[in-house]
Amino acid sequence: MARTTLSLSINGECHELSVEPSRTLLEVLRTDLGLTGTKENCLDAECGVCTVLLDGVAVNACVLLAVRCRERSIVTIEGLAAGGELHPLQRAFIDHGAVQCGYCIPGMILAAKAYLDEDPSPSEDAVREALAGNLCRCTGYQKIAEAVLSAARAAR
Amino acid sequence: MTRVVGHSLPRMDAPGKVTGTAVYAADFALPGMLYGGVLRSREPHARLLRIDPSRAARLPGVRAVITAADAADVRYGGSVKDEEVFARDRIRFAGQPLGAVAAVSPDAVATALAEIDVVCEPLPPVADVAAALAPGAPLVHEGWAGYTALPILHREGNVCNRARIVVGDVERGFEEADRIFEHRFTTRSVHQGYTEPRAAVAQWDSAGQVTVWSNTQLPFEVQSTLSEILQLPPSCVRIIVPGVGGGFGGKLRIGVEHFAALLARKTGRAVKVMTTCEDELTAAYARQPAIVELKTGVSCDGRILAREGRLWFDTGAFAGSGPGVASVATLMLAGPYRIPNLLLEGFAVYTNKTNFGSFRAPSGPQANFAVESQMDIIADALGIDPLELRLRNIVREGEEGPTGQVLAAVGLEECLRKVADAIGWANRRPGPGRGKGLACGWWTTSGGSSGVYVKVNPDGTVALNTGAAEIGTAALTGAAQVLAEDLGIELADIHVVSADTLATPYDFGAQGSRTAFAVGNACRAAVADLKTQIVTLAARQLGVEESVLTLSQGAVCVADGGPRVTLAELARASQASGGGLIAHGTFVAPPTPYDAKRVEGHVYPAFHSPSFHAHAVDLSVDEDTGEVSIHRYVVAQDVGFAMNPAYIEGQIEGGVAQGLGQALSEEIVYDNGRVLNANLTDYKMPTALDVPRIETILVQHPSLVGPFGAKGVGEPPNIEPPAAVANAVASAAGVRITSLPMTAEKIALARLEQKR
Repeated sequence: MARTTLSLSINGECHELSVEPSRTLLEVLRTDLGLTGTKENCLDAECGVCTVLLDGVAVNACVLLAVRCRERSIVTIEGLAAGGELHPLQRAFIDHGAVQCGYCIPGMILAAKAYLDEDPSPSEDAVREALAGNLCRCTGYQKIAEAVLSAARAAR
Repeated sequence: MTRVVGHSLPRMDAPGKVTGTAVYAADFALPGMLYGGVLRSREPHARLLRIDPSRAARLPGVRAVITAADAADVRYGGSVKDEEVFARDRIRFAGQPLGAVAAVSPDAVATALAEIDVVCEPLPPVADVAAALAPGAPLVHEGWAGYTALPILHREGNVCNRARIVVGDVERGFEEADRIFEHRFTTRSVHQGYTEPRAAVAQWDSAGQVTVWSNTQLPFEVQSTLSEILQLPPSCVRIIVPGVGGGFGGKLRIGVEHFAALLARKTGRAVKVMTTCEDELTAAYARQPAIVELKTGVSCDGRILAREGRLWFDTGAFAGSGPGVASVATLMLAGPYRIPNLLLEGFAVYTNKTNFGSFRAPSGPQANFAVESQMDIIADALGIDPLELRLRNIVREGEEGPTGQVLAAVGLEECLRKVADAIGWANRRPGPGRGKGLACGWWTTSGGSSGVYVKVNPDGTVALNTGAAEIGTAALTGAAQVLAEDLGIELADIHVVSADTLATPYDFGAQGSRTAFAVGNACRAAVADLKTQIVTLAARQLGVEESVLTLSQGAVCVADGGPRVTLAELARASQASGGGLIAHGTFVAPPTPYDAKRVEGHVYPAFHSPSFHAHAVDLSVDEDTGEVSIHRYVVAQDVGFAMNPAYIEGQIEGGVAQGLGQALSEEIVYDNGRVLNANLTDYKMPTALDVPRIETILVQHPSLVGPFGAKGVGEPPNIEPPAAVANAVASAAGVRITSLPMTAEKIALARLEQKR
């Protein structure tokens, strides 16, 4: 398939790429750029481990074509700890024991960030609804919800 | 007072996991690596006549297509050697590997897989246990008798093991009983649902040795299995486990390592193989579907006098974990109860489905669902409160388990009373359509041996080198807490190196709720040796007697304010003159004595350092739809000693969530050997909206064997949810559901049936 050139802004850096039009953002991130903090699992937008922020909105990178991300700003988990300082959500996930195997956590943190940016004072039910597209099989979600609520409180 | 153990310290690997820098097997890549994919059978049962890979092999980007002809003709397996890498002449399940492709991209792999011609002659599938046991049923393995198998197994035709416990005289027990209750329960297959697919990258070196980076829970078992498959000595097979994105038993047995290794050998390149979602739901080691028949005789005051129980597991096309899980099932059918007369049997039965395997507390939820549902049925029939009925029958300190093991540290009564208090048991039916239920159980802390090397670094920090893999439970953080406690240093001073079969000491693996328990104890043994080395060296450095020295806060000193030498100084001194401070610690769980006359065909006759637990739930059932809404869920678990309370709560919360999935929504749906819902849209795992808050009560009756009294923690919370929910549904809606999952439709239909 003919390749197309593409410029992507990822975590504030500009990447010039040449990709097949069928290539997903997930493939570009993980395979082409080595940004494996964005995880791969169902490839069907069901599990949420590939969640990234596209212009601040949480999206599933596994079903998003890279060419659709032209001129748009992408944030992955690697872009969250600016200057080596953990983001308050990352800190809260550690402090609340919300991390077990951790494979869902990058997507979970980004989904939480997108939601808190919209609603800084959410209820627990609202947090759970915001995270309902991100499967976690280890934690039962309780400590994840607590971590998100605590990060929200700390930011107020 | 302890400084490090018993405290909810953050896990050591958390920063890497929240920043995306932790590397999992699925993330692992090598330069120039090829991608591999597996050709799987679409037929559940067939004669394989021909595979023609020639068209696929000519496609651009394809580097190799392999079939059974490219693998040694060996059968492998843990208890029965009945499994082969690729089907040779007989296909035994839809999803069985027939061949594999290596190509330059995943797309090229997918294209090539679709271009391989498979010619086979379909046969009627042996679709379930009933079909497999029917008179004249076709044999799933016609050559079963010729397979190498553990000699203690009782095998016959489609049954690859019948495990049995016999105690007393069950017929006489039934004669003495005032009431006899007979019920049948069924459960379906559920998947572990780890979010990281099984993945492996293999690379061969010029000396003919292969290294595989994979997310297995059992690197040493995979090394052994792979060496059989490749016909190489184990030393030529190196398994390294990067991060593991969840296992829950699904990553115990060999997964895709052999495909990666064979493709890498054929191409001379590194090859990565990763499962798809469809592979996982059709061809992984999901939980066995089960049929349970229970006959229980009781006195009119509710004492259980006799029980006859049979549990049939659908083990699928191969034995795998089946014979062992069927054995464990018999102990679970007894329940945590004192029953003088028992006849309990567990069967592992071949069918034309995937090789079902071990899922967190294998056999536990299936057997407990039956046992604890029946306890409530008996209680209702006798007019005894279900809590009271349990309290009249549960095992207590110093009593015997079903196979004669003497039980110690039995915290069950405390668990039952605490969950009942917490849930408000006195008010069991708080309103219309609302009810409470409880269930209790017991479980093992698996045995097996563990070794560790503990090394002091030149800066005074310590390296813990263990063969165990961290699969997400924080077990290695727990073991490191033990090490830090005993060595008088901080958790932050410990670095963990793990799970490399060439470099790390042996470990039986991350299975059976044993990792923190066994590795923790191995750390204690290493510290005993290391302290001797440290004190001997310090005495020489300080010119004092060893007996006056104590080790604390990273230094050895004579007394407060007296001469001291730090661990860093000692490590550097030893590096200069003694090869460094290092100790090898080992642990193996002591055998648990039992009465061998009571068991047959049994590969797991006693529970080591058993744990005890009780769950209680308060829920409502929608009058019209049958939908269950959980108001509260409480767990009391006897953990022996809470090594790290926060992560134990995490285990309990996660285990309950998984158990609620099995209870209410999850099922791999089969139709005559074919899976109908091999995707995450139709296979319904609980989301954050489906799981209620879970309240945890930690009960601590210290184990005599575990580090600081700890018992295994990880599996138990997965056992009781189906039974607790079933009992609460019965209480809330007045219908007794005897099959899993208890979907809204099933409950609503049962209510309609009842009204009729």
